[in-house]
Amino acid sequence: MPRTTRTGPAKSPELDHPTTLALLATMWRIRCFEERVARLSRSLLVHGLIHLSIGGEGVAAAVCRQLRDDDAVYSGHRAHGHALAKGAPMDRVMSELMGRSDGLCRGLGGSMHLVDREHGLLGATGVVGGNLPLAAGDALAAKLRGTDQVTVVFFGDGAVQGGYFHETVNLAALWELPLIFVCENNGFAEFTPRAAHTKVERVCDVVAPYDFERRTVDGSDVPALWSAFGEYLARARAADGSGRGGGRGPYLLECLTHRLRGHYEGDPQAYREALAEADWARLDPLARLQTDARRRGWLGEDEVRSIEEAARAEVEAAVRFARASPPAEPDATAGLVYARVGTQS
Amino acid sequence: MSTSNNPAELDDERLIWAFTQMLRIREFEERVKRTFEEHPGVIRGHTHLADGAEASIVGALATLRENDQLMCTYRCHGYPLVLGTDPRAMMAEIYGRTGGLCGGYGGSMHLVDPERGFMGTSGIVGQGIPQATGVAYAAQIRKRDQVVLCFFGDGASKQGAFSESLNIASLWKLPVVYVMENNSYNVITRVEQEDANAAAGEPLAVKAKAFSMPGVTVDGGDPIAVYEAVWAAVARAREGHGPTLVESKLYRLSAHGNIIAPPGVPLHFPEHEAVEVFGAAEEYEAAKRGDPVPRFRARLVTDGKLDAERADAIAAQVRDEMQAAVRYGLDSPFPEPADAVNHVYA
Amino acid sequence: MAHELPYIAAINEAIQLEMARDDSVLYFGQNLATTENDEFVRAFGHDRVRVTPIAETAEIGMAVGAALAGLRPVVELYMAEFMLVAMNQVVNEAPRFRYMSGGRVKVPLVLKAGYGFTAGWAGQHTGSIYGMFLGIPGLKVALPATAADAKGLMATAIRDDNPVCFLHHYLLTLEPGEVPDGEYLVPFGQAQIRRAGGDVTIVATGWMVGKALAAAASLAAEGIEAEVIDPRTLAPLDTTTILTSVQKTGHVVLVDQAPRHAAASALIAGEIAEHGFSTLKAPIRQVTGLDVTVPYSEPMEAFVLPDDTKIAAAVRQVLGTAPVPA
Ligand SMILES: Cc1ncc(C[n+]2csc(CCOP(=O)(O)OP(=O)(O)O)c2C)c(N)n1
Ligand SMILES: Cc1ncc(C[n+]2csc(CCOP(=O)(O)OP(=O)(O)O)c2C)c(N)n1
Ligand SMILES: [Mg+2]
Ligand SMILES: [Mg+2]
Repeated sequence: MPRTTRTGPAKSPELDHPTTLALLATMWRIRCFEERVARLSRSLLVHGLIHLSIGGEGVAAAVCRQLRDDDAVYSGHRAHGHALAKGAPMDRVMSELMGRSDGLCRGLGGSMHLVDREHGLLGATGVVGGNLPLAAGDALAAKLRGTDQVTVVFFGDGAVQGGYFHETVNLAALWELPLIFVCENNGFAEFTPRAAHTKVERVCDVVAPYDFERRTVDGSDVPALWSAFGEYLARARAADGSGRGGGRGPYLLECLTHRLRGHYEGDPQAYREALAEADWARLDPLARLQTDARRRGWLGEDEVRSIEEAARAEVEAAVRFARASPPAEPDATAGLVYARVGTQS
Repeated sequence: MSTSNNPAELDDERLIWAFTQMLRIREFEERVKRTFEEHPGVIRGHTHLADGAEASIVGALATLRENDQLMCTYRCHGYPLVLGTDPRAMMAEIYGRTGGLCGGYGGSMHLVDPERGFMGTSGIVGQGIPQATGVAYAAQIRKRDQVVLCFFGDGASKQGAFSESLNIASLWKLPVVYVMENNSYNVITRVEQEDANAAAGEPLAVKAKAFSMPGVTVDGGDPIAVYEAVWAAVARAREGHGPTLVESKLYRLSAHGNIIAPPGVPLHFPEHEAVEVFGAAEEYEAAKRGDPVPRFRARLVTDGKLDAERADAIAAQVRDEMQAAVRYGLDSPFPEPADAVNHVYA
Repeated sequence: MAHELPYIAAINEAIQLEMARDDSVLYFGQNLATTENDEFVRAFGHDRVRVTPIAETAEIGMAVGAALAGLRPVVELYMAEFMLVAMNQVVNEAPRFRYMSGGRVKVPLVLKAGYGFTAGWAGQHTGSIYGMFLGIPGLKVALPATAADAKGLMATAIRDDNPVCFLHHYLLTLEPGEVPDGEYLVPFGQAQIRRAGGDVTIVATGWMVGKALAAAASLAAEGIEAEVIDPRTLAPLDTTTILTSVQKTGHVVLVDQAPRHAAASALIAGEIAEHGFSTLKAPIRQVTGLDVTVPYSEPMEAFVLPDDTKIAAAVRQVLGTAPVPA
């Protein structure tokens, strides 16, 4: 069976003025949220293992802001940005991180297990790569139903050396699932550089044998991320010609990102040199997009400040909300171990 | 250490050796199969035969030196025969007797003979691959100039363990050669029904690309072609350049295994899945016509390396040897029941 | 109305009825539906009935994802041991997802696998590994012992909103039995009293139910009346039926094919010891597999497994009619 060429609009969407501002707002929300989480975790108000995505906000925003609520996103241990960008309410995410009863998952999941069904955040899993086959199953469901939903799975470069990745890629390719693999390749898995994990530097090369469409993009270049993802999304959504809808894929978008902070909050990072300021300015997706927008005259000094201030205000309100929320009740778990037949999830 | 870029030419004696080994495997497997009819109930459980894979097995193993090692799957009878394991002990194991290679604990799927470099098998698809990779890791750090051959099926290449292992072996440049015996079937599933590469018409050797490793495809019905391909891979591994994926295309001439039935129901080998499941009798007949054992014999005779008389004499000798294995197996006593509690811990 | 069916056909009947009733039910796994002749394919088509590669992690993980997306997959795994290569999905994803989401999602799926094929399949294909699934909150475990239960428990498993390990005993595959026609559901967590008796309570599952009944028949000839209870699901476990019986008999023999230290009988013994201690007239006895890998050779295989003779001997011991070995 020869590989089918995929049809559908191939034109890359470009970032316009309002979209740029919306993305900047999303990225600021994530940035401020995570900076605040870092402080809260030092004062132990947020507990457990916390992985921040500062440096990766561009990927979260450019991908999730193009999705609909009924498109499913699967994430991993570094999930805050994906959750916020996908539409999970910030106050409830904050409450979840603080283990409160108003948390997104009533305080039962925490940072690594954010789930918000209404906004299509189907789930984050703490076991590396555990989400990959889940996302493929979700895409299979969309395909079987003949809808035009597209599933996105975020994973790190560290997940690519796991067998589950290859098992999933084979099936996604064989069954042409409407699934977009979004790899955030930050060059590290925990404390080990990619070169210690594999000879294959680019994740795109790992899926080469399957020959589906894939691209490596600079993860701090938000316009590039936007158009690359947008193109794949449009094509994954396109009807497959069978007359009953149903998207088709898969695609892989490999985003080269820089993880500004340690692997987890508290990581002493003895394994790498601190980044020079100038280098960070070059790698920071937020600063880059903002500079770009100002150069185009889309943004003045005041507006920059007001976007940032709005984000900070939202974060502070979220913290207040979470603090006011009672801790998860010890008996909150009653009835949650098993679903009862007929319950609506 | 070999530094030549070409495999040593197989001299006449070596070619005849290869032919003899192929015959031994075929005869052994035939005897196993016949046991189901001639001695019902003697073989229990699940038995998988290597008929059709003889050329591939012998061609691959002809590249090995004394110290080298290998691991394989539940389809495991061929390799130890070539390495020199006593067929009588193998047959006794398959019959569940004390004289068995593993004392009757393992059976057909779980032969082991570490003294001869046969490090074992796994009955769980794909799981021998990381184990063989670990054997190669041991070989690398002990610097004993050993190479490890890792055999598995086409179906196993979809197991996560396959990908995890090939990545590490490539990264660490382990002295291992991955020999994928692609018989186009995983039980009753054809390879293009389950493999994205096969579905796209590509050889499965392309999977090597994902791990930055060479991948080659070879006619597994031709022992010399297999020898040459595996030889190059072994030489590369021995010189410290790391692993290779060799896809050996072959056809299994028997069904996947004997029928699955409750205790007491006599077992037998059904027809090949091509016929039984897919109604593709021509496919199976064509494979039969390409049977590597007579094909190699004819080639040796045509090339004047072997005359028909000697070929017949070898065949007669092999028949006697395997007949004796059956006899030995049947005569060997059953283990004491209470011996079941031995060997749980070292 | 009922009809006679082999155990395995009863399972298939349940899957087919559920697939016909609810088009969100899928059935996929290795080595099924490879031709158009497949009965499932003919009835439901390739979208809902699919052959997969040998990739248990992807198979089970995809079932979790499809379940999160609102479908009800049944994954055909053939042998319970094959789940072991995908333990993260079985243990750490499927059963925990709902809980950690605070109840926002559910994962209705069935992992269908055979177990206990002690017919010379040697160490890797004969295990009775359900014990390791019992300590996993969120996962349910059903072990049908008859064709009727096989049908009814499968239907219930498919309709259940949780991940269920549906473990059918390989040695029962062709065992015929009366199976109710049409829709038939066996509730989870309801043990079945297979034989009533007042002298001793025997609890057994799967293949062991038949062995326990055979032992009970031979004990009856000696004037001993055994009550044989089949829990049918181990998670949830119907302790009420067991404790009620123990209250009546005061004597307990627990039968389990698994190795002693991985046996569900140990868990049941714990429940009886805690909640029924005062009603016990003698120590509990467990008749289990030995703590060894199942050997290939027949005499050794028989030695490590429980059978009716061993069960009857244990009953005589708890009733004090036979000496207890030192
Ligand atoms: C199966 C598994 N192994 C190990 C871990 C521990 N662990 C947590 S995050 C991580 C690194 C993952 O690296 P990568 O996928 O590149 O994501 P990144 O942290 O760089 O975003 C590891 C090894 C785990 N959670 N799961
Ligand atoms: C993990 C696992 N899943 C399923 C099986 C059942 N099984 C035994 S052999 C086999 C086919 C394997 O096919 P392939 O790797 O091509 O080897 P072949 O038998 O063709 O030599 C399967 C599916 C198993 N033993 N282990
Ligand atoms: Mg990383
Ligand atoms: Mg095969």
